[in-house]
Amino acid sequence: MPVAVTLSSLQEIAASNQWAAIMPELLLAGLAVLVLGFELVVPKTYRALIPAIAISGLAIILLGVGIHFHTTFLNDDTFDHLLHHSDGGQFMRVFFLLTAILVCLLATVTLERQPVPKAEFYHLVIVITAALMLLAQSNHFVMFFVALETVTVGFYILVSYFRTSAASLEGGLKYLILSALSSAILLFGIVLLYGVAGNRALPGATADAMNFGALRGFLAANPDNFLANVGAVLVLAGVAFKIGAVPFQFWIPDVYQGAPTPVTAFLAVGSKAAGFAVLLILALDVFRPLQAVLVPVLSVMAVATILFGNLAALTQNNVKRLMGLSGVSHAGYLLVGVIAAYREPLAVGAVYFYLLAYLLASFAVFAVMAHVSGSDDADQDLEHYANLARERPFLGTVLAIGLGSLAGIPPLAGFMGKLLIFIFAFKAGLYGLLTAAVVGVVISIYYYFGWIRAAFFPFRRATGLAASEPPRPVITRVGFPVAAAMVLLAAGSVILGFYQGPLGVWLVSR
Amino acid sequence: MSPAQLASLVLLIPLISAAVIALFLRRQGALASYLSVAAAAGIAVASAMLIFGGQRNFPASVEWLRFGGFAVSFGFKFDDLAALMLFVVSFVGFFIHVFSLGYMRDDAAKARFFGGLSVFMFSMCGIVLADNLFMIFVFWELVGFSSYLLIGHWYERQSAADAAKKAYIVNRVGDFGFLLGIVMCYWLNHTVNLTELAARAPAGGLVFSRAIPLLLFCGAVGKSAQMPLHVWLPDAMEGPTPVSALIHAATMVAAGIYMLCRIQVLMVPQALTVIMWVGTITALYAAVCAIVQSDIKKVLAYSTLSQLGYMVAAFGLGAVLSRSPDGYTGFVSGTLYDGPAFLISAGAAAAMFHLTTHAFFKALLFLGSGSIIHACHHEQDIFKMGGLAKRMPWTFLTFTVGVFAIIGLPFFAGFFSKDAILFLARQNNIVVFWVLVFTAVLTAVYMTRLWRITFFGEARSESAAHAHESGATMVIPLVVLAVGAALSGYGFFYDHLLGGAFKGVLSLVPEPEGPAHWMMIAVGTGAMFVGASFALGYYRPAAVDRLQAAVPVVFGALVAIKESFDRLYGYYVAKVQQRLAVLLDVIDQVLIAGWIVRGGTTVVGYLGMGARLLYSGKLYAYAFWILIGVVILWGFAAGGF
Repeated sequence: MPVAVTLSSLQEIAASNQWAAIMPELLLAGLAVLVLGFELVVPKTYRALIPAIAISGLAIILLGVGIHFHTTFLNDDTFDHLLHHSDGGQFMRVFFLLTAILVCLLATVTLERQPVPKAEFYHLVIVITAALMLLAQSNHFVMFFVALETVTVGFYILVSYFRTSAASLEGGLKYLILSALSSAILLFGIVLLYGVAGNRALPGATADAMNFGALRGFLAANPDNFLANVGAVLVLAGVAFKIGAVPFQFWIPDVYQGAPTPVTAFLAVGSKAAGFAVLLILALDVFRPLQAVLVPVLSVMAVATILFGNLAALTQNNVKRLMGLSGVSHAGYLLVGVIAAYREPLAVGAVYFYLLAYLLASFAVFAVMAHVSGSDDADQDLEHYANLARERPFLGTVLAIGLGSLAGIPPLAGFMGKLLIFIFAFKAGLYGLLTAAVVGVVISIYYYFGWIRAAFFPFRRATGLAASEPPRPVITRVGFPVAAAMVLLAAGSVILGFYQGPLGVWLVSR
Repeated sequence: MSPAQLASLVLLIPLISAAVIALFLRRQGALASYLSVAAAAGIAVASAMLIFGGQRNFPASVEWLRFGGFAVSFGFKFDDLAALMLFVVSFVGFFIHVFSLGYMRDDAAKARFFGGLSVFMFSMCGIVLADNLFMIFVFWELVGFSSYLLIGHWYERQSAADAAKKAYIVNRVGDFGFLLGIVMCYWLNHTVNLTELAARAPAGGLVFSRAIPLLLFCGAVGKSAQMPLHVWLPDAMEGPTPVSALIHAATMVAAGIYMLCRIQVLMVPQALTVIMWVGTITALYAAVCAIVQSDIKKVLAYSTLSQLGYMVAAFGLGAVLSRSPDGYTGFVSGTLYDGPAFLISAGAAAAMFHLTTHAFFKALLFLGSGSIIHACHHEQDIFKMGGLAKRMPWTFLTFTVGVFAIIGLPFFAGFFSKDAILFLARQNNIVVFWVLVFTAVLTAVYMTRLWRITFFGEARSESAAHAHESGATMVIPLVVLAVGAALSGYGFFYDHLLGGAFKGVLSLVPEPEGPAHWMMIAVGTGAMFVGASFALGYYRPAAVDRLQAAVPVVFGALVAIKESFDRLYGYYVAKVQQRLAVLLDVIDQVLIAGWIVRGGTTVVGYLGMGARLLYSGKLYAYAFWILIGVVILWGFAAGGF
């Protein structure tokens, strides 16, 4: 190929590099560098400002994304089709920025108790957030994989951030190995797809099989191709690892328990939501021609996930493990929404709404957990919550609202989320899935209310055992910004249950 | 202030009072009692401004809930009928509040009592002002709740706790019918708004059904303690006496009659006949029972039942006879239309008239009995009293006015209102007429018996001997109510003196003319004299009931009649309901709780343990699980599943 031609084609490609389209991600990168640089340059006495810089930076970017929600790039591809900008992607951008702000707020509570450097934590959270946002907008497997690995590598560090804690290190190691395994599987799936789509002997073969649009064209022409199907399910296996669907959920309890509480929350909300954002793109769009295989796969996965998650959560005594396993069951309900979206396209909005309700409720609960846990972040048992509502009514109330919303108790937001998903599942005729989901909800009420009961009543233990139990950790005082955030989270959970307003309309009737 | 605001104020004042007492004043009994009395005074002032302000049927309605096409609104319908009822509730209610100050002075749970009174005033005013059946039902349940609260005020006593429970349960039976009636009314007419129903009736826009008025009447049967749901009212006397006066004589039990008057447009002749007979039988039955009672409050309770029976009978009777410009004319639908304004029928007017006079004299009698009970250290047996006329002159005088009023001594309130009812019966149904006349005889008998045994002769117990007149907070209400009991009957002649505030009701009270007039006076007065002179001649102020001593067979038979219903219900509860409950309990314990719930829990618990076992913490195990998952997915892709 002559140099001039290459150059001109490169120029052509470069012409589609609309840097303004990824302005939020660029700003995040700048913010990440700023946080690190601040620590290097500024004297130690000012380091306390780092969280404030990170949080206010994130808030400003969130504001910017909010103002420019309807950008000119909507429904357009940029960077030579590496990225596709949709309003779903915009929603996920807002979602991840919100997540990042809340994670940073929790970090101000938890990191204080540990002898660890602070600035790197915020730096990593910001980098991961940028990667999550790109992931949710990717339109190309190379972009997809790079963003995904950026997220994953960031999490390796964050999970084992408490280097002095054995549990944290163990969690980090487990996450590293299992995540690498899942990435390998994912990559193998991508390779299979790339290989088979490039086969000139097949109709619709394409040289650009990494591109989602081109790949969909190929799959539409070959819906029964075995290799293509294997490739697709292996890619989904990789995504299932992120969202924690059975049988790829095994890493969750150990990693959630070991990770610092803000990181657990980040994994539970951010990483899971990213998995669903990707799943919505892949399962509903790119792999749509493979429905015949994917719908049964996802259905079996959803039922197993709902039942397994709830059953396993039933016997947990460590609240981080409990949140992890109950999060598995939430992934199951969300999968039901994704499956329903094959027949009822509006179900996508229900999935988004559920994610938002899940964010509000989860962070409300994690915020309480961050205050109740002591210096050993992995050791957070139900017993530590005994009588919490009496001693700290604020924490008790927020906890009850958060858990009630997670359990789907009307009139909280979590109830509306479940209701919307169930309605679409019903409309789509997924009665079997619906039954499993309802059974799962019933089981979940047991352990969620077990936790609420623990918080609202004194803990009763058999006499004689009392002395052998270590005393429970001292509950941290709730500072102003975190308290305000908790009030907003709880209020949001209540208000979204009563009134979905324009947000609900936008989500469910796009 | 606009009338709608005034009406809201009438509702808000007691609600605020109840809330403040419940939240802040539970331990400050004295403060709570002052607040509650002040609230009652506030209600009286606000409702007086509303009643005599001349504004009627002003629009005041807001939508509260909407379910699809069904909107529940919250609004006021204020006509002359509501004005009259509100007058009774606020005026009598206020003086009973004042009386309670003295009566409950030494009670340990004074705050709870006065809080309960405020809740009651709120709910009762809600019933009076409500403009739709659904709202009436809401407040209907609230008065039931406050009645429960106040009957059971001395809940440490098993009998009081039981009586409160009984009142609540029996009322639930009637309320269920009431609710069905509301549902049916909505189903057939697509509205439960009273104004709309009334507006549509003249144009023939209403769907009539026998079931609607009869189901709604079920509510009145429960609340106004008509047969066969009358059993709760005598037991309700376990509550403090001011409660008996306010709730179980003057206002709440009369709410059933008021509600009937509100839903008149829905009445059909067959339903009215049923209502007439229920009222007549209740009047007679309760009067019979009253004769053998020895507890002063129980006598008054049965007398209340009997008088409520009069009112219900009057309502049922009045349908056929209404007054029009040309004199009396027969009606089929039981309603009289006068231009665009809907007017109530003669029967409803007579019932409301008797309700008003009864509210005065029965509240007076109950408060008088309260004064006696207070003076006699909670002695309620009339055969252990005696000689109280000298020791409690004010109570004696006012009580005597009350007795005169209830037995229908000419020129006292009951004379006018009872005659109106008897006249209606005379015109309409001769059997009912004679039953009611006989009931009037019995009324004179049991009231004169009570009066004579309580106040005359020698003191027959230590406590009666040391009784002395009650304090001013108790005597003043007695005097005011005695004036009312003496004069309220004239409201019907001189309602223009009240600014014609109740014209829409009182001008329709049937009134005999010419020879019929004298005939009615003769029959009414005759019945009264026969009964009173028999009682004066027969009963002596002694330690035992003369009837019981002399003719035990008759006395025993009367007691058996009185207890027949309680026995029947007791039998039903013990033998039928209880056995069914035991059976259901066994099913629940074994099948539902045992197998399904506990079995299910055990299975789920084991599954959970199993799931937990998978989490060995071993990394390679996790990796294997993931690989197994990949193999399964591969199988799916290969079409293996």
